[in-house]
Amino acid sequence: MELDLRQALHYLGAGEQVPPALLEQVSHQAGQLQAALRPRYVYRVYDITRTGQGLCLSQAGLVLPGNTAGRMLEECGRAALLACTLGAEYDAMLRTCQARDMAQAVILDACGSAWVEAGCDAAEAELAGLFPGLHRTDRFSPGYGDLPLELQAPLCAALDAQRRIGLTVTPSFLLNPTKSVTAVIGLAAVPQKKRIRGCAYCSMRQTCSLRKRGTTCAL
Amino acid sequence: MHSDLFQGPTLLLDGAMGTVLQQRGLPPGGRPELLNLTHGALIEDIHRSYLEAGSQVVYANTFGANALKLEGTGHSVEEVVSAAVTLAKRACAPYPGARVALDMGPLGELLEPMGSLTFEQACELFAQVARAGAAAGADLAVIETMTDLYEAKAALLAVKENTSLPVLVTMTFDQGGRTFTGCTVASMAATLEGLGADAIGLNCSLGPDLLAPLLEQLCRSTTLPVIAKPNAGLPDPVDGHYHMSPREFAETLAPCLEAGVSIFGGCCGTTPEYIAALKAALGDRLPAPRTHTPASLVCTPTNPVFLDGVRVIGERINPTGKKRFQQALLEKDLDYILQVGLQQADAGADILDVNVGYPGVDEVDMLPRVVKKLQSALSLPLQLDSSNPDALEAGLRVYNGKAAVNSVNGDRAVLERVLPIVKKYGAAVVGLTLDEGGIPQSAQARFDIAKRILDAALARGIPRQDVWIDCLTLTVSAQQEQAAHTLRAVSMVRSQLGLQTVLGVSNISFGLPNRLLVAQSFLTQALAAGLTLPILNPNQAEMMDAVAAFRVISGEDGESRAYIARFAAQAGASAPAQAAAPAALTVEEAVMRGLAGEAGRLASQALETESELSLVENRLIPALDQVGAQYEQGTLFLPQLMSAAQAAQAVFEAVRARLAQQGAAPVKKGKIIVATVKGDIHDIGKNIVKTILENYGYDVIDLGRDVPPERVAREAEEGQVRLVGLSALMTTTLPAMEQTIRVLRALPHPPVVFVGGAVVTPEYAAHMGADYYAKDARQAVVIAKEILE
Repeated sequence: MELDLRQALHYLGAGEQVPPALLEQVSHQAGQLQAALRPRYVYRVYDITRTGQGLCLSQAGLVLPGNTAGRMLEECGRAALLACTLGAEYDAMLRTCQARDMAQAVILDACGSAWVEAGCDAAEAELAGLFPGLHRTDRFSPGYGDLPLELQAPLCAALDAQRRIGLTVTPSFLLNPTKSVTAVIGLAAVPQKKRIRGCAYCSMRQTCSLRKRGTTCAL
Repeated sequence: MHSDLFQGPTLLLDGAMGTVLQQRGLPPGGRPELLNLTHGALIEDIHRSYLEAGSQVVYANTFGANALKLEGTGHSVEEVVSAAVTLAKRACAPYPGARVALDMGPLGELLEPMGSLTFEQACELFAQVARAGAAAGADLAVIETMTDLYEAKAALLAVKENTSLPVLVTMTFDQGGRTFTGCTVASMAATLEGLGADAIGLNCSLGPDLLAPLLEQLCRSTTLPVIAKPNAGLPDPVDGHYHMSPREFAETLAPCLEAGVSIFGGCCGTTPEYIAALKAALGDRLPAPRTHTPASLVCTPTNPVFLDGVRVIGERINPTGKKRFQQALLEKDLDYILQVGLQQADAGADILDVNVGYPGVDEVDMLPRVVKKLQSALSLPLQLDSSNPDALEAGLRVYNGKAAVNSVNGDRAVLERVLPIVKKYGAAVVGLTLDEGGIPQSAQARFDIAKRILDAALARGIPRQDVWIDCLTLTVSAQQEQAAHTLRAVSMVRSQLGLQTVLGVSNISFGLPNRLLVAQSFLTQALAAGLTLPILNPNQAEMMDAVAAFRVISGEDGESRAYIARFAAQAGASAPAQAAAPAALTVEEAVMRGLAGEAGRLASQALETESELSLVENRLIPALDQVGAQYEQGTLFLPQLMSAAQAAQAVFEAVRARLAQQGAAPVKKGKIIVATVKGDIHDIGKNIVKTILENYGYDVIDLGRDVPPERVAREAEEGQVRLVGLSALMTTTLPAMEQTIRVLRALPHPPVVFVGGAVVTPEYAAHMGADYYAKDARQAVVIAKEILE
């Protein structure tokens, strides 16, 4: 598992020409973060049945309503639910960092986003190893397209995410600890094209300075 | 301890409820606690199957039966808990000696500072469950699967304050020996034993193979009976099954007897077969006797500080003689107090003394607030320092971990008032060797008081390693002969009583030239005499140097590693810093380059010849504007913008210090409230805005995150604030933003409102009735200038 520095720099709005001092600070923070903690993840694979309300993962007691899930999982017989978090320890680190040095905190925030994505990638690589014959869709999360954010609670309950990785859902359906991702990944017998990219899907969307300037990183 | 529960050499608990429910074909999802009402016979039968397998205690099906998790189900805590306990009792009836435990799991929402649930709210939620369980006739309470020591403390206090049930507490650890919130085994043991748990242990998360080393560690860290309730190994990501067979589980777990574990059971993946196998594997084997004396320590969840050498207590969180600190206290500027704590942590303090006693400050309100603020960002254990017992209790109550209390003395009235509080919250306590008659002049008389304090503490059940004695430093220029008595008393207390010793070191040198030299020499002699806990200013490098050198000579610093690292770091740090700072650097340049130390130093220099206002308006603000413009152009990035802001902060700090020195009112350009709206917990964007606004000289009142509309309105009205900034991250919290604006609009003097955050657009801002939309922190400054200047 490795933190993608390029991704962290993109989140900070530094695309092509990165000032050397900034690069050094980001790589230092990334190193500290990776030494301090690793993303925790939990995933489980379920059969999909198609019902009137949407796609049903009956072993999870979960229905995925709407067009987004329908389109994403069109060709899939199974789907994995994934939850990944940097945990409360990361949030504590970020709180300390904010009290000490906001400039470093902004960098740590970007590194955290890249690190939790690395955790999702690692989980997905494990999943790929379990099903070498199957093809995976892009990861997509509650809140993406018309997949309701309200799904966070039953999704985390199905994965027993609080017990397994310490992940909770607030009454307003936010994940806590804050640097966390939940996702659905479809498994199909036929190759899956890339369907999603862009800001709506990005965990940095709240602080991305590129986005605030009206551009994107095109990651 | 409730001896009848722990009468036998071992005690067998039950296994999982959820696993068996699934086995019996119940669909996933929904609240398993409601099955007590709808499928009572099934639940009762599961309990019976565990009793049949050999369980001596069954956990009633109440793991999530709290008001938060039952909200919206139409059923009350009392109804569900009473049904669950009744079912379990009915199942137990034919089995003599079988007990019913009220089971309490995590509330499901994270406590502050991670989440929005306050410690007090958590206590009340658990108290409701505890009262219901006791009323329904539970024989004991179990608090389990905790990953947050703070939540475990809330639950434990709730049980102890509302029932007389014996209480078992188990927490969930990962392989690295920490819980998901970073809590260590040593911190857990010290805190929960101090708070009066009857037995403690580990459950869930891992199988018995991976849990064994942690159980051994726990047995060495506590004198209480130790519980092991592991999972049946790890679950398969495809079918969800746990991988260990009953026999493998039992044969792996039973050897933990040899570490001293005496209470056994199973968690996720275990069924009555596992308990039967465990019963067979345990047979009539006895747990190993527990002979280890736990180490003496104070702690936060992540940082146990073992008292096995010199540990420095930082003294700077104290208003005495510090104008700037007094001002911060009166203004409730907790950020400043946190900065004082962070500086001491960076300087090498091991423990921080916290004193907020000052005329005009309500300590009972302030001490817990400061404790929470410090613990939100700092992992050092705290020593709560107050002469007000109510303030001490308020502070200890919300403290996360095991704290120390400063102080009691030989006065019986003080001992009787404070020691019960120390005992209830499991703290360590500093005893000053003085009494009603004042400070005794001889070492022997001080030693006698120390003994008296120790006896009083022991009589209250406070263990001897938690009694720290302060033999009192007197000013050597006034009472010269007393220095020798102090040193002798320290030596007697250390060698004859074996207690930790505390001394406020710097008092020694009042009224003498080169005070630091006298203090340093006294420190070294006191350490040699047996001082273990010097209270000093860790920001004075010479004092910390003396501690570092002492640790080498005493052998505490093995191979002088820490000493060498300390001076290598100092040598390394000073050379390039000089090279990087050209002689002709101006305040403006220092700010623009983000050199906070330089900016502060140059500002102090400039203030010798220049007015505060001129420095801020003519030099600082233009420099910040220039940095801001470069940020807008995209030639400079957010971290650099923040560095410049922090350098500006250093300039402001120099201005504030100067004004406080002159007794003048601080220059404030106007008040702005910032808040992240109700329901939202992502606040880094709001914090960025706050930092930038502060560095333009605005007085920013930060209400934090998840702030109810009414609170924003109240603060705006009470503080007569003209500008309010609101942030929201998620679409689901936009209605809360709209609601907040509506409430603010309805005030007699409605403030101007600006909004921002990921999902807010200019159009939506207008639709919600906000006056301004700020796309970033720079924009917020433009708005503030327009409204407030």
